[in-house]
Amino acid sequence: MTCYTARAETFILSPAGNSIQWQEWGDVHIVYQPSSAETHVFNETTALILKCLKQGSRSIQAVKDWTENALEVGQGDLATDDFVFATMRLEELGLIECLDDASAVQ
Amino acid sequence: MIVGDLSRRELGKRLAGDGLALQLGPFNLTIRSNLDSFASLAHQLYEPYPLPDAEAISDFHVQISAPRGLRRWVRRQACFGVDGQFPFAPYTVEHAFPALEWGINWCVATRAHHLLLLHSAGVERNGRAILFPASPGHGKSTLCTALVHSGWRLLSDEFGVVRPEDGLLLPLPRLIPLKNESIEVIRKFRPEAIIGPSFLETRKGTVAHVQPPVNSIRRAQEPARPRWFVFPRWVADAPLTLEPIPKSQAFLMVATNAFNYEVLDEIAFRLVTEMVRSCDSYSLIYSDLDEAVSALDELSRTDDV
Amino acid sequence: MFRAACETRRAQRLLLEALQEPEKLPGLPPADWELLLRVARRVRVLGRLESDLERAGLLEEIPERAAAHLRAARNVISHRNTLISWEVNRLLWALKGIDVPLILLKGTAYLLAELSPARGRIFADVDLLVPERRIGEIEERLVERGWFKTQIDPYDDRYYRVWMHEIPPLRHRERGTEIDIHHRLLPKTSHLKSDPESLFTAARPLADPQLHMLAPADMVLHALVHLFLEGDPDEGLRLRDLIDVHDLLCRFGEEPGFWSDLGPRARALGFERPLFYGLHHVQRLFGTPIPPDVLRGLEDAAPVWPIRQLMNRLIPLALLPGHPDYPSRWASVARWLIYVRAHWLRMPPGLLAKHLSHKAWLRFRGFRRRVDLAQLDLKQQ
Repeated sequence: MTCYTARAETFILSPAGNSIQWQEWGDVHIVYQPSSAETHVFNETTALILKCLKQGSRSIQAVKDWTENALEVGQGDLATDDFVFATMRLEELGLIECLDDASAVQ
Repeated sequence: MIVGDLSRRELGKRLAGDGLALQLGPFNLTIRSNLDSFASLAHQLYEPYPLPDAEAISDFHVQISAPRGLRRWVRRQACFGVDGQFPFAPYTVEHAFPALEWGINWCVATRAHHLLLLHSAGVERNGRAILFPASPGHGKSTLCTALVHSGWRLLSDEFGVVRPEDGLLLPLPRLIPLKNESIEVIRKFRPEAIIGPSFLETRKGTVAHVQPPVNSIRRAQEPARPRWFVFPRWVADAPLTLEPIPKSQAFLMVATNAFNYEVLDEIAFRLVTEMVRSCDSYSLIYSDLDEAVSALDELSRTDDV
Repeated sequence: MFRAACETRRAQRLLLEALQEPEKLPGLPPADWELLLRVARRVRVLGRLESDLERAGLLEEIPERAAAHLRAARNVISHRNTLISWEVNRLLWALKGIDVPLILLKGTAYLLAELSPARGRIFADVDLLVPERRIGEIEERLVERGWFKTQIDPYDDRYYRVWMHEIPPLRHRERGTEIDIHHRLLPKTSHLKSDPESLFTAARPLADPQLHMLAPADMVLHALVHLFLEGDPDEGLRLRDLIDVHDLLCRFGEEPGFWSDLGPRARALGFERPLFYGLHHVQRLFGTPIPPDVLRGLEDAAPVWPIRQLMNRLIPLALLPGHPDYPSRWASVARWLIYVRAHWLRMPPGLLAKHLSHKAWLRFRGFRRRVDLAQLDLKQQ
């Protein structure tokens, strides 16, 4: 599982991620990001990843476990590809960051 | 004082001189034109619109004029200008009137960023408003025209103007442009409707302008509270359906359809959220105007308990 | 004719007084407000007026209708500034691990370094200066991370890469903001030489260690170069750019050594002529405090007397807006002349003729396909 920047173990919510404004409409999450003036639409999985990280930095595996738990699916049932895609996307949007010394050096 | 209080001659003089001042809802306009044909149409179609006070600040200075020089005689053209700039492709002189109307839309959409501008028709009755977020070609203007000739007040055909301070809708009751078959449809629906001449072969097909009922224009300074979002679609021979749609869908359709949602950052997000939370949202599919009007009348009565 | 000249002077006076003494604006009659809003919009200083009034706590004292226009301008500026700041944020993320000095230029620098020209000012793009030898690497990494090169015709692309001081703009696939990556401040073809190396050595770091801004003297000189050498045939010289220069001089003028450095730095970079014009006109229009010995020291950079007189006429004509209802033929000529001169300074005569005729041809073609009001998508990006 890789971040854009490096093989990393831990994610954290970025300052941008910490200041987003949520509106939940059923299982559609519409989120406003003040730092970029963007409005995003997130599905349940992506929203849960953000909620998990709101509690503090987590290893990738821990985020996955927590998300699976919240979705009430079995351990390891959440498609890895979907999960990776969601985290890559969140990183690209600047809402989460890799917390890893390795990421500083290419 | 209204435009109708000016003689045709006086109106022409103002247009050709320092400009005709006109009040359109929240905006004061100054219009100039050296075209006689335009002056006649303006006198007819803008008749009930109020003139602002002499000392009032004008928000937009627009003009629709034939260019000076040879071209004025050789190829009869009309150019839309704002503040002395003419950034747009010229029109034939016959299309001067619709060109000015489109030009005014441009001014509002590119300048009025102190307000949230939804792309939406709006009508009001008993203090509550329905907003019809636009999808081109789905018949919003036709439906809007039908409603305002059936007891509803026109807020606007094109711009849902939301005041950020309180979320109220500000009326902008301009002429309603109808296209192609809709013109005949409305003529049949309400023979007494005041419809201007048809402009053939414009970039949008045949266009004619409906003058809103005088009442809508007189009450242009009365805001309204939004109560319903209705997403209309005309489908030939379809039975009428009026169904609630999920709020998340309504939010996205309203936000993506606004003129300046992005520009207003957090304000827009908050306003659209509040509107969608406090309004009920429906999708409306219809083929018969009378049925559609009845259904919306019915909807508005659900609140009257 | 006479009325036109009177009205033009009135419009210009209103504008300059509003910029010089915003505290007097609450006393302005509605008719003057109406004209002021129109001319201010033309030269894009509505935001500046709003900012001045806001700082003075006077926004409630002006007519509501005028305040609405100013508020609209502020909303647009605030939004754009967010986009610019965010684009820099994403740029840093994308370039993580690539150790290259990034110097922010123009508005991007004013915004991120919180300098006064950023006040009430709209900036369209992100402007960066990077070492020429690193450009390929940076461009490649950005393309990997979601940016793409904007589609321009091959003539323009070659013009950029071979002759210019910047590569064609990059844009992220989801966001609208353009990134202009410069490797020098002036085109390679310019009569004025510029040496990028010394800019990097003199640059000052910002809060984020990877970001820098130009040293004060360099920043002022770049603003002047941008003002005089990047004109527009319709708009002439941008008044807003001269205001930037005024703000920068006021801000840095307090720093020890700034004024004594400015002249020699201009000489070293070959920018004395723009500095000469800039200082004279900024003082003339805005009363910028400039030590007399600095102006005296630049006298040998002055053009010969006839040209000097000509430019003294042309520059204000090209800078100040006319009255929107009374367009001036002379002003249009002045603006066009300044535009041609700007290009003359950027490229040798042969190239200039070719470039101008190509651009003229494009504009002629473009004129046929001017924006069609009826088909315009009015939704803001």
